[in-house]
Amino acid sequence: MNATGIPLQEPAISAAAGETEQFERALIDASTRVPVLIFYTSAMAWLILGTLLAGFVSFKLHTPDLLSDISFLTWGRVRPVHMNVMVYGWASMAGIGTAIWLMARLCRTVLRYPLLLVAGAGFWNLGVFLGVCGILLGDSTGYQWLEFPSYAAIILFVAYTLVASWAVLMFRFRRGEQIYITQWYLLGAFLWFPWLYAAGQLMLFVVPVQGVLQAAVGWWYANNLLFLWFGAIGLGTAYYMIPKVIGRPVYSYHLAAIGFWSYALFSSWTGMQRLVDGPFPAWMVTASIAATILTLIPVATVGLNHHMTMQGYFPLMRYSPTLRFTVFGAMSYTVFSLVGVLISLRSVARYVNFTQASIAYSHLGLYAFFTMVIFGSMYYIVPRLIGREWRYGSLIKLHFWASAYGIGLMTLMLLAGGLTQGTGMENPSLAFSESVESVLPYLRGRSLSGILLTVSHFIFAYHFGLMLFGLGRKSTVPTFLNPVEAEGAEPH
Amino acid sequence: MNENTPPPESPSGQGMDYSEIADVHEVHAAVQREKREPRVGREPLSIWLIAVYGLAVFFGGAYLGRFSGNFSGEALDPYGGEMPTMKKVTGPQGAQQAAELSPRDRGKKVFAANCQTCHQANGLGVAGQYPPLAGSEFTTGGSRRPAMIVLKGLTGPVKVKGQQFGSAVMQPWDKTLTDQRIADVLTYERSEWGNNASVVTAEQIAALRKELAGRTESFTEHDILAVPDEDLPGGTSAPGAPPKPSEAAKPGEPPKP
Amino acid sequence: MKGLAPLFLGIFGTFAFSWVGLTVIPNWQIGHLNPQSDEEGTDVYPMPQSGMVTRGARVYAANGCNYCHSQQVRAEYAGADIERKWGDRRSAPRDYIFERPALLGKMRMGQDLANIGARAPKEEESPSPTSGASPAPQAAAASPGAVAPVKAVSPPPSISPSSATAPATSPGAIASKPPTSPGAVSPPPSKSPATASVGGTSPAAAPSPPAAGPPWPEQTAGLPPMYSAAWHHVHLYSPRSINLDSNMPSYRFLYRARRISAGRSSEALQLTGSGAPPEGWEIVPTFDARCLVAYMMALNQSHPLKDVRSAGAPPAASPAASPSPAPGGQPAK
Repeated sequence: MNATGIPLQEPAISAAAGETEQFERALIDASTRVPVLIFYTSAMAWLILGTLLAGFVSFKLHTPDLLSDISFLTWGRVRPVHMNVMVYGWASMAGIGTAIWLMARLCRTVLRYPLLLVAGAGFWNLGVFLGVCGILLGDSTGYQWLEFPSYAAIILFVAYTLVASWAVLMFRFRRGEQIYITQWYLLGAFLWFPWLYAAGQLMLFVVPVQGVLQAAVGWWYANNLLFLWFGAIGLGTAYYMIPKVIGRPVYSYHLAAIGFWSYALFSSWTGMQRLVDGPFPAWMVTASIAATILTLIPVATVGLNHHMTMQGYFPLMRYSPTLRFTVFGAMSYTVFSLVGVLISLRSVARYVNFTQASIAYSHLGLYAFFTMVIFGSMYYIVPRLIGREWRYGSLIKLHFWASAYGIGLMTLMLLAGGLTQGTGMENPSLAFSESVESVLPYLRGRSLSGILLTVSHFIFAYHFGLMLFGLGRKSTVPTFLNPVEAEGAEPH
Repeated sequence: MNENTPPPESPSGQGMDYSEIADVHEVHAAVQREKREPRVGREPLSIWLIAVYGLAVFFGGAYLGRFSGNFSGEALDPYGGEMPTMKKVTGPQGAQQAAELSPRDRGKKVFAANCQTCHQANGLGVAGQYPPLAGSEFTTGGSRRPAMIVLKGLTGPVKVKGQQFGSAVMQPWDKTLTDQRIADVLTYERSEWGNNASVVTAEQIAALRKELAGRTESFTEHDILAVPDEDLPGGTSAPGAPPKPSEAAKPGEPPKP
Repeated sequence: MKGLAPLFLGIFGTFAFSWVGLTVIPNWQIGHLNPQSDEEGTDVYPMPQSGMVTRGARVYAANGCNYCHSQQVRAEYAGADIERKWGDRRSAPRDYIFERPALLGKMRMGQDLANIGARAPKEEESPSPTSGASPAPQAAAASPGAVAPVKAVSPPPSISPSSATAPATSPGAIASKPPTSPGAVSPPPSKSPATASVGGTSPAAAPSPPAAGPPWPEQTAGLPPMYSAAWHHVHLYSPRSINLDSNMPSYRFLYRARRISAGRSSEALQLTGSGAPPEGWEIVPTFDARCLVAYMMALNQSHPLKDVRSAGAPPAASPAASPSPAPGGQPAK
């Protein structure tokens, strides 16, 4: 066999892939190793830092005297650092890492220009680090998820440009005629993010818009980041992992197309519903609420698509870590969207606005959906980069359950607490401080769930570290979650 | 497989690079057991799903149409006009137009900009220095006396509500404030802080201004008390205020020395 | 999907639709508002703020105050904000045209601050107890005959019906002295704020709130009048000395301790109890703290706006309800 003999079309066989295709994939995996691992390792480090900060922030909210009086440890500065470390440090970098691997696989070509990615990772880390220091030293801008001072933001943008150029080049050299669903989402994400980021920075800091429009642009940015950057990467990853692990095609192309376009169209209009009844022309808020209602279309579509793809294969979730995490994430996407619709309707927003419920919503999207999908993808991708399998199935299980219970508990606590807080606020015969009092027990519960999440992340970091240092299992059999039963099951 | 491989990075888009043999073997195991790369099936859309789409579009669109306030930049209120089920529509101001300010509101602004510094926002003045307006017999009596004071100012000692004042001088406002503003601020003072006296109109002030046109000095307490405590002619009756005994309308007499 | 071109176009188009619709068009609609003024061009609202206030806004943003405090009053049909006396009327875009950053806030672990400057005691024209540092309407205060509308900073804070009208103390100090000594305005802490003073002075409280309890938490004795500048300093330094249940972190790093030399300085914080500094020391605010408090005292949306109905304006005349106006809070000297 020679280099040019690789068929351009996929072989029309339903059994396991032929040899050439396997070689191809193996080479692609090998070429992606360094950049993807750099992104993953950086992301893991930021995840640990962000988790510690999260615990700190959560505890300080109900025990305000904890380590107060120190300027760089004050709650108002540590909270944005936690948010930005999670958003730009963990989530973005892990998402980019997964996207790199997916792009390489789907473009069916070896990773080219890895230096672009390595430089991108370096600058990205630098940007996040500078931003974190800037916020702690008192340079935060005050806009949610845009708190990095401009000297850090520009570095992030440079880093992103490097990554994006790589993506464009890869896409230029792709092989194959079909553009798979995942590639639509990834391409969308890579094109939307720089525009979004640039628009946010320009309209808020460089040529600031007037008055309340700053808040409007800020929330337009934050929501669009959640949907068009993280959501797109998450959905794209799920569309790859689920059919890949099961070995069946995605149920319907039409559903996928409708899902993608309606997602792009409607979720980009959300954002203003976070400012319900604020000092804005009513149509802006109503448009966002209407768009949030309309996002039920892509949610239903994508959910149906995944469900029908997995029809009959749900039991595989018992064994495959990737599938378990990914399906959890995909289902959480539905829950996240439904919660979003509920809390944006004006009649409900009256009781839920200005409460912890919006934190529950953000975490549902960023953790229950995006992070869990990324965890799943990491469980799939890392063995293919390192050449070893995950060492302890029990640790994976622990990771999953701690995360699942942690985020579930957190969501429940914050939603219930938010509702209590909001009801109290709406009752003028109650002093305002009573509404705050009423939410404190829920915040303590949230801190408990934070402990669960911390445990989960430390376990994962340890496990990942083992892999990184070559201490994984040498095996041809993957790490299943219930290995004894898995002996007779389908190969992973 | 080709052992004599070209340099590792092959820039052309065509071939695959087989140089990293050892790595290939290491990852081969995982790759080997993988399923094929994902494909897409072609199942048609279900009719029920289209129904769900229709419902979502309908509700979303209806919400958008109903609550957008005509997409104007000034409509902060999603309900457009008055919300039919709103329990408290406009508060105590009843039929007031949304865009205009009532005489009292205007008067309040005038008061805040001009009078508040001395007479204080609560109308209590400053003991010994600035007389109170809340419950003051001058403010709540007929409108002629306070209108004269505002137009031409007041000097010298004055007794208000049983207390003596006199260390400060009240400046004349006839050159600085228009008739409408004087009328508004008087209306405000006469209905604020528990005061309950008749409104004052711009026409009344205009007429009084003409009457006093020749006078240049401020009034003294003596001058003011010499004038009947009556409302200025031409006003409307006060809402609920007990009518003061009004003598025959007689312009204020020049002060006796 | 086969073609790259339709994919690119679609990706571009959907996002452009949202970007134009949610940011560009609103910018065209409400992005170039001017302050309103009356017929004569005076009484301009809002006015651009002084440098200390602008810096204070940045201190506010940098320390994350926005993550617990909002600065927007909702309309009556949307929430209980106006009933809670957090404002006379809802906030409108025109209120924020000179704010940068516009810190509307999304969370209320602490109360809404849109009108916190309006809730200050009336004598406190100057935003801080320090001399000369205040962008207060000094001109108007100094000369009783001053006719010019307040040019300096905040619009004359109009009185919301149950504003914390602290007992009018040292009344003679206001107009005749320059506004540099309100440090002396630490009235005998005899009155607990809103509830007591409301009934006495303003009969506009006649349509009194249906509140069973006071809008603000009860305050312990020994503290400066509520929402005065001195109060803000104490609150920032030690929130729990004011309200035991408060969840707010303390911002001691915004203050310095220094030895008392030649008498207590006028800007020293009035601290009592365990938070008070040891003998011979006093706590004074840093410049950032003064700017932050200046910003808070300038937060005032009580000026009526033509765009918005004033919801809580006092009634024209409420004959039956108003008591005979012998104010309980007589400024007895």
